[in-house]
Amino acid sequence: MRRVLEGKRQMRKQIATLPFSEKIKILEKLRDRSLVIASNPLRRRLSHRG
Amino acid sequence: MKATLEAINRMRTEGVIGKYAIGGAVGATFYLEPSATLDIDIFVSLKTMPGSVLITVAPVYTYLISHGYKTEGEYIVIEGWPVQFLSPGDALTEEALEQAIETEVEGVRTWVMTAEHLVAIALKTGRPKDYARLLQFIETGILVTNRLESILSRHGLLEKWEQFGHRFLGDEK
Repeated sequence: MRRVLEGKRQMRKQIATLPFSEKIKILEKLRDRSLVIASNPLRRRLSHRG
Repeated sequence: MKATLEAINRMRTEGVIGKYAIGGAVGATFYLEPSATLDIDIFVSLKTMPGSVLITVAPVYTYLISHGYKTEGEYIVIEGWPVQFLSPGDALTEEALEQAIETEVEGVRTWVMTAEHLVAIALKTGRPKDYARLLQFIETGILVTNRLESILSRHGLLEKWEQFGHRFLGDEK
């Protein structure tokens, strides 16, 4: 488990060192995905229930 | 986002806004791994309205709406990205705007707040997501301690920083 966590930490560090433009492209993909998830009718129905 | 920044740069060239700096999650992405965000926070130096002592972002919105952009609540959508224009509300954000560093996104010139200023602003704002970002900054080890302490001291945030350390990092007094 410790190795898995360390691997994740290393990967995050690696991503953090990417050029800003590259990270912005990732950010855009994350945003698109968030918008798709938010527009899912099932999610909308669940959020209405509070 | 390239087109968004180009539109903001045009406003700067045309004198609608003065210096600007990206803050919030997009600003933090300059230093950290990207994390999902739906909007861009732009801190911007604004002029006072003629005959008024109030500083307002109204001219920014007037300009953008006249160029066909639409508002969405407190945001204005520029080339697909909701952007919130924020006037520095205190000495800390004024300093962060003043000392922002120049960079570029796909060849477009832009400015981002320093890591230490982003940390100080997150600490001052103090929402759970701000604390999470603070921990990310600490984990990356990119913060320059002297610079951060100097900012925190100048803006009366040393005690809050200490409390944050106790709460989240297990620092002992």
